[in-house]
Amino acid sequence: MTSIEGRDISKSFGGVQALHKASFSAEPGEVHALVGENGAGKSTMIKILSGLFRADAGEIHVQGHEVVLEDPQAALRLSIGTIFQELTLLPYMTVAENLLMGREPRNLGLIDRKATISAAWKLLREHGIPGIEPLELVANLSLGQRQIVEIVKVISRNPQVLFMDEPTSALAEREVEWLFGIIRKLRTQGTCIVFTSHRWNEIKGIADRITIFRNGENVGTYEATDLNEQDAVERMTGRKLNMLYTEPSPLTEQTPMLQVHNLAGTGLQEVSLTANRGEVLGIGGLAGQGQRELFLTLFGVNHLKSGTIEVEGKQVRISNPRDAINKGMALIPEDRKTEGLLLPLPVRQNLTLPILRQVSRNGFIQRLEETSLIRTMIDRLSILTPSDDQPVGTLSGGNQQKVLIGRWLLTKARILLLYDVTRGVDVATKYEIYELIRRLSEEGHTILFYSTDTEEMAHVCHRVLVMREGRIIDEITGPHIAPEAIVAAAIHVIAQVNVEVPR
Amino acid sequence: MSAERRSLLPTLRRLSHSQRGTLLAYVAIIVLFVIGGIYRPSFVRPDNIGLLLLLASFIGLVAAGQTFVILIGGIDLSVPWVLNALAVLLTTASLGQNSRAWWVVPLVLIVGIVIGMVNGLGIVLFDIPPVVMTLGMNGVMQGLVLGFTGGFTCPSCNSLAPPVVQGAITGQVLGIPTGLLVWIVIAIIVGLVLGFTTLGRRIYAIGNNAIAAYLAGVNVRLVTIIVYAISGLFAAIAGIALTAFGQQATLGMGDPYLFDSIAAVVIGGASILGGRGNYWGTIAGAIFLVVLRAVLQEYDISEAARSIASGVVILVALLLYGREARDV
Amino acid sequence: MSTTETKTDTELAAHTSAEARFQYYVAQNVPLLLSIGILIAMVMIYLILFVLTQHHLPGNFEFSTTLNNTMTVGLAAIGQTLVVLTGGIDLSVGGIVDVTNSLAAQMMHDSPGSMLEITLLVLLVGAGAGFINGILVAYGRLQPIIVTIATLAIWQGVALLILPQQGGFIPTGFTNLLAGNIRVLGNLPSSLIIFILLILLWQVLRRTRFLVTLYAIGNDERAARANGAPVMLAKVGAYTVGGIFSGLAGLYLAAVATSGDATSGTPLTLTSIAAVVLGGVSLFGGRGSAIGSLMGAAILTLILSVLFFAGVNPQLQEFFQGLFLILAVIASTLVRPLLQSGR
Repeated sequence: MTSIEGRDISKSFGGVQALHKASFSAEPGEVHALVGENGAGKSTMIKILSGLFRADAGEIHVQGHEVVLEDPQAALRLSIGTIFQELTLLPYMTVAENLLMGREPRNLGLIDRKATISAAWKLLREHGIPGIEPLELVANLSLGQRQIVEIVKVISRNPQVLFMDEPTSALAEREVEWLFGIIRKLRTQGTCIVFTSHRWNEIKGIADRITIFRNGENVGTYEATDLNEQDAVERMTGRKLNMLYTEPSPLTEQTPMLQVHNLAGTGLQEVSLTANRGEVLGIGGLAGQGQRELFLTLFGVNHLKSGTIEVEGKQVRISNPRDAINKGMALIPEDRKTEGLLLPLPVRQNLTLPILRQVSRNGFIQRLEETSLIRTMIDRLSILTPSDDQPVGTLSGGNQQKVLIGRWLLTKARILLLYDVTRGVDVATKYEIYELIRRLSEEGHTILFYSTDTEEMAHVCHRVLVMREGRIIDEITGPHIAPEAIVAAAIHVIAQVNVEVPR
Repeated sequence: MSAERRSLLPTLRRLSHSQRGTLLAYVAIIVLFVIGGIYRPSFVRPDNIGLLLLLASFIGLVAAGQTFVILIGGIDLSVPWVLNALAVLLTTASLGQNSRAWWVVPLVLIVGIVIGMVNGLGIVLFDIPPVVMTLGMNGVMQGLVLGFTGGFTCPSCNSLAPPVVQGAITGQVLGIPTGLLVWIVIAIIVGLVLGFTTLGRRIYAIGNNAIAAYLAGVNVRLVTIIVYAISGLFAAIAGIALTAFGQQATLGMGDPYLFDSIAAVVIGGASILGGRGNYWGTIAGAIFLVVLRAVLQEYDISEAARSIASGVVILVALLLYGREARDV
Repeated sequence: MSTTETKTDTELAAHTSAEARFQYYVAQNVPLLLSIGILIAMVMIYLILFVLTQHHLPGNFEFSTTLNNTMTVGLAAIGQTLVVLTGGIDLSVGGIVDVTNSLAAQMMHDSPGSMLEITLLVLLVGAGAGFINGILVAYGRLQPIIVTIATLAIWQGVALLILPQQGGFIPTGFTNLLAGNIRVLGNLPSSLIIFILLILLWQVLRRTRFLVTLYAIGNDERAARANGAPVMLAKVGAYTVGGIFSGLAGLYLAAVATSGDATSGTPLTLTSIAAVVLGGVSLFGGRGSAIGSLMGAAILTLILSVLFFAGVNPQLQEFFQGLFLILAVIASTLVRPLLQSGR
């Protein structure tokens, strides 16, 4: 009897099919890894099986009985616990309130706040976390600490089925060991554990079985021992390994385009780097170590406390994105839907937003000029859209990303800051983007590249700088970068949370 | 793509929610005129229609400013007393004389813009939520008007608006009230600004997603200040128009226009959160409100019941085309 | 007890001690503390001005009047707080007050039975009005600001239908009970008892699942839902209970004015928002306390008294209230980063 099963689940979001008659099942007492490219549907499947989304079609079975999960409450009642990739902590409430939400200790029917704090403290201690203060607001914790609080919260509800969507992205090595210890203990207790990850080593280290998703469908379930990385990647992408990536063209010159000296600011302790013309420079490390802050500070969104930025040898002052754009920089942020694109607005308006001055005269938009510019860009990037006036929100994820990239190419930016640009993008478009990056670097653009997929970074970048707590702690150079080297440099450091690994 | 307009349905389906709302509002206006005409045929005579449209223009003028502000995701609760204050300024500074009109009218407009800018600055510089800032400004203006006029007992308080100003609103050209012509001109300008200028593009961008607009290099702060200044300008224009129509300024003359301006914008299909909608919808909303009340009055419905009807109408409009999408 | 257990207990005590909890409370409630500060300052200014102009300390009459005016705004503000905590806003507060005010004036007779009956009716009407708002916002998925603008118009109309002219009648017994003319426990006005009861009520409410869910919704509705919190029910509940408080405010208004007026509640909408803001509650939701809103109501009332005793032109009242509101928010924005520790 399976612990949890989704049968022939279909789900689409505004015209994009995320899952197409996909099935998935997992058993009690096993650790089951769910793998696939970004956008393959694994997160969506988990969200449906945890009651967060409702499937368009298909059935869900829990412990052998068919159920309808109308909301997360229903899933919780069926003893399904989920650690989502986007944490579900309430930022302006304390750690204690977050940990015990819905099951606070009571006194005469009312919540006993002092008892809540003790209970939270005991909970943290039981799970080996003495270092986080129950009275602290979640908003004041680091990303790693928040991920740990989220884990403790869900595990302490003693779920029979536990879903974890990328649980280790912000955790250091010691913390990952701690988590795996917990997972192993839960497994012996008969819990069914399903998790997703991009790190093959972790998957091999703990999973019993592996299911591969591709383009919204389940393409196979295997015993972990029967599957090696090459096979897995081939099945995830549908291509042979040696055709996966095109290595970056060798650099012919060493002209510095962007230089940063001792940059300090929010989340940045002291960062210095040089990016050369035509170089694809990777910024790696665990999630939440300052990479996002670095990009935001370079682009003028975050304030710079000290340090200097030089573009083409000249020191520049960047206090807002407009300054950065005027100096030839472009930022493609991590969440194109909430930070990049204006979804209800047409493709046309999204493409020309930063260059309105160029397509207007005396404040009036010159439609013909605008049309010719955007047509050229649409053709150049092969953006599939029925018309220029199509709302961007109706395009597929891959085409949306292309619109965003197209917008910045129209600004003729020389320095491109690409932050997790392949997230949620289908396989075919991803390779178009890699190819585009290679062409851009050949044409002399300077690119800073951040991705949660170390495999991708290893193949796309000339060099990778690894960040840790707002500093650059390591540099890994080509010509052939091994993804493991990036991961090793990132996680093999002192834990940010004092955890006690169970013996 | 070949245009096969054999049936209306596919075209209707392609319209966005807010566009459908606008269309519905215009259809409803026509329906109302029919109902009114059934009860009393003179309801649909040109001079009555002209009068109703003129009354709608006052709402439409205030609502123009409100449209700009709502489009960027804000709101202006200061219109009642800003309007009132500027109306009082018009009459007490001009003392009903044409010779003074040439500098008083521009003064009133400029003061309106400045007040709007102060609203915008408070919101942008100090992160004061628009509800609070404009609410406070409303109180400030109310106090200033009452204080400086001694509760409207000052000697110049009963001055009239200058005749030239009155004529600009209450005159007639080919049977059309001049005030209505003023509104038409303004509507064209507003439509051009929102639909064809860089400012318009920036406004829609901010209203849809202020963060994304900022990251694309839009000067969100500056545009916000400009938009509130525009709202202040329209409060001034409306104040001048209303005073011209009623000949004098009165206490509390601006009060009905807070509800009416917001209602017009929403009935016209704009989203209260911003980013969606345009002035054609607001125009429909303003006309709809006026015609609805006129029709109800024809049928002898009391003012209290008319208020209830106005509220119900907004809810119906929202339920038809104002609902947010499900998150799941 | 073994040494490890004692050590753990000591650590636990350190983490949960009153001292530790107080320190964190202060750091996390700066806006509330700021409004306490403003209230204290206002009280001092009031006392100084009163003594300077009247040459004696304020007595029971002044205390009662201040309390009564605070109560009316305060009740409306508590209702508004519940809605604002979820990230919404209730502009129909004034309309509900109008309706309940008119109902009370129109229907209350001079008998305890009638007073009780009408009070219950008022609570029911307030709850019903709030419930409609809640359903439209939660299940209708409509924006609170515009829904409540619409229901405001509706309730204003209904109030005028109930009581077209000012008048009606509020029995003196009722007025005495609410407006504090009855003395209990020595010389304390009865309205003070009601005030204290409200504070206690909040302490109780604050410790219910209902309120915790409201805070969660205001923090992050999606996350609250994912945690299994009953988001829909709680939202409807917030508007419903908010409506009950608005109804109570209407009752109070009638009692204090001793007769009814179908339009006297309208200013309460905006005043309740001002009280909430002055009380340090965030309009974005998720943070703040109704105690703050009560203090905000008191501050607003005291401003008027201070202006009176300072000899300021009474027609400038709204000017100062509006200015004060804006300055208070600016002060809060400027002071917050200074007081918060570290981050």
